[in-house]
Amino acid sequence: MVDSVFIGLSIITVGSAILSLESRELLYGGIALAISMLGIAGYFIILDAPFVAMFQIAVYVGAVAVLIIFTVMLVRAPNTVTKKETRKRKIAGILLGLGFLVMAGSILGNSTVTQLKFNENAPVFDVQAIGKGLLTYYSPVLIVLALTLASAVIGALALARREDIEERNEPTN
Amino acid sequence: MGSLTPDFRFGNFVGSIVWLVFVVLALVTLLILPIIFFVLFYVPLPEVDGEVLTPYLFFSMMVDPSRTLPVVQFFIHTDLFRAAIFPGFGFAALIAAATIFIERKLLAKMQLRVGPLYAGKVEGIFQLLADGLKLLTKEIIVPSGSDKPIFWLAPIMFVSTAAAVVALIPVADGWVVADVSVGLIAAFAILGFFPLIALLFSWSSNSKYPFIGGLRALHQMIAFEIPFFLSALPVVILSSSLNLTEIARSQNLFMNIFILPINAFVFFISSLAELERIPFDLPEAESEIVAGWLTETTGMLYGLIQLGSYLKLYALAGLFVVLFLGGWSGPQIFPPELIPGAHDSNLPLLQMLALDGLYNPVTVNSIFWFMIKTIIVILLMLIIRGINPRIRIDILLHTGWYKLIVLTFINLFIVLMLIYGGVIGPGGLISIR
Repeated sequence: MVDSVFIGLSIITVGSAILSLESRELLYGGIALAISMLGIAGYFIILDAPFVAMFQIAVYVGAVAVLIIFTVMLVRAPNTVTKKETRKRKIAGILLGLGFLVMAGSILGNSTVTQLKFNENAPVFDVQAIGKGLLTYYSPVLIVLALTLASAVIGALALARREDIEERNEPTN
Repeated sequence: MGSLTPDFRFGNFVGSIVWLVFVVLALVTLLILPIIFFVLFYVPLPEVDGEVLTPYLFFSMMVDPSRTLPVVQFFIHTDLFRAAIFPGFGFAALIAAATIFIERKLLAKMQLRVGPLYAGKVEGIFQLLADGLKLLTKEIIVPSGSDKPIFWLAPIMFVSTAAAVVALIPVADGWVVADVSVGLIAAFAILGFFPLIALLFSWSSNSKYPFIGGLRALHQMIAFEIPFFLSALPVVILSSSLNLTEIARSQNLFMNIFILPINAFVFFISSLAELERIPFDLPEAESEIVAGWLTETTGMLYGLIQLGSYLKLYALAGLFVVLFLGGWSGPQIFPPELIPGAHDSNLPLLQMLALDGLYNPVTVNSIFWFMIKTIIVILLMLIIRGINPRIRIDILLHTGWYKLIVLTFINLFIVLMLIYGGVIGPGGLISIR
């Protein structure tokens, strides 16, 4: 059962990822990216981590994909991608990719990853444990991340602010 | 003979009926019977009371009153029934349909109009049926320059996303389609799809009014998503769970709205904005941009989006009830037995009438109170539509970003103070559990 779900998810995720790269229409590429991110959320659900899965959906599909698609709509130019590939380049690319896959596969196959087994005593998923962990052991990381995000937002505001239209845009109400 | 057509012939009439009967018989023998046999051969039948449910057993159970109720009970507790009929899609769609009719009638009465009047003789009760038939039979016009796949898929996506939110709402203890441990975050994550769908649909219409409407929908939903999310945060802190069933169960002493009135207000306002209802219906502002992002919809595409938005209305009202109004808790008003003494009597028909074994007073009571509260919230949303004008977009964004977000924090700090002061929460003076 899980295997069929896994295979289906893999087909959706990898297929839409390839589609998002290969699609000539940029908007379809953005949609395919969103579907690919949904597939990744599906992996998290299979891995018994619904909390991460929901945040994956909320952040990547609900925010990042919307942002990308919105940007694509604003700068919509039909021929941003010029076709440069020739037959030789295509074959070379495929060979290179296959070579990399074989190499990575052989390295992975000889590593200890293959000897890992499923841990039967794995702790049951618990949101409260995540919350406790975030506020105790991982609190410095959380604070640093929050500061990074805050500085990013402040930087974006400082960059986007235009003082020349400030005066005309008097109090909104 | 005034109502009949002048060239009416009785012979032709009888002939047409005979022809109809023949066609039905031919269909039954050629199509339906093979399908039934195929299903009986290949589909494994479920077990009821330790016996395999063959058609013979099924029919004998249907005839025998004392054996009918277990079968019904078995079907009520299947997942398919839950997803498709009771707490799931069918139930929500019924409420959505009722809401559409009540909204039209209520607004009409509020504005001294009559509303739907002719279909169905009595106060136009069949207006909805007529509208539905009209939408089903109308031609779907796809604009020539539109992006066809997205244009066709977006309304279906809209309905299915709304149904996915509905699936998370518990109507009674254990009566929920998907009892997810992170139900609240799941609801917010799924609600995050709507701006994407509105934007894509408005873009695919290839027309300027839909696109303006879609951009407005995007701005509005993203501006109100943050206060929407934040206003549910103290609820999670109070009940220390993200599961919606647990959140509702944790309010058996007092409803959250007594501790979190400001947050309930913010949640209500944000859900109005999320639903694009007046006063926040800028994406569909009909006096400015025709019908906003729905301008190019026709026929059943419009019907689907309408169904989806009313499903969403029910889902958000249900979410409000679960988060702030204590879910299904309420005084027990249903008797322990529908007909007193039916369980001990040996009359099968009486037992069947009393729904013996099927009728659970606690569950029925829970569903009753949940429905009452949800209907009150829905009516509140409808009344606001009747008495408010549409607000300007800059005021809307200002409200969302500056005012509501700040308002949510007031109650959050109050709750934290109460918890750390030892008044509520685990181990407090008023313990929730």
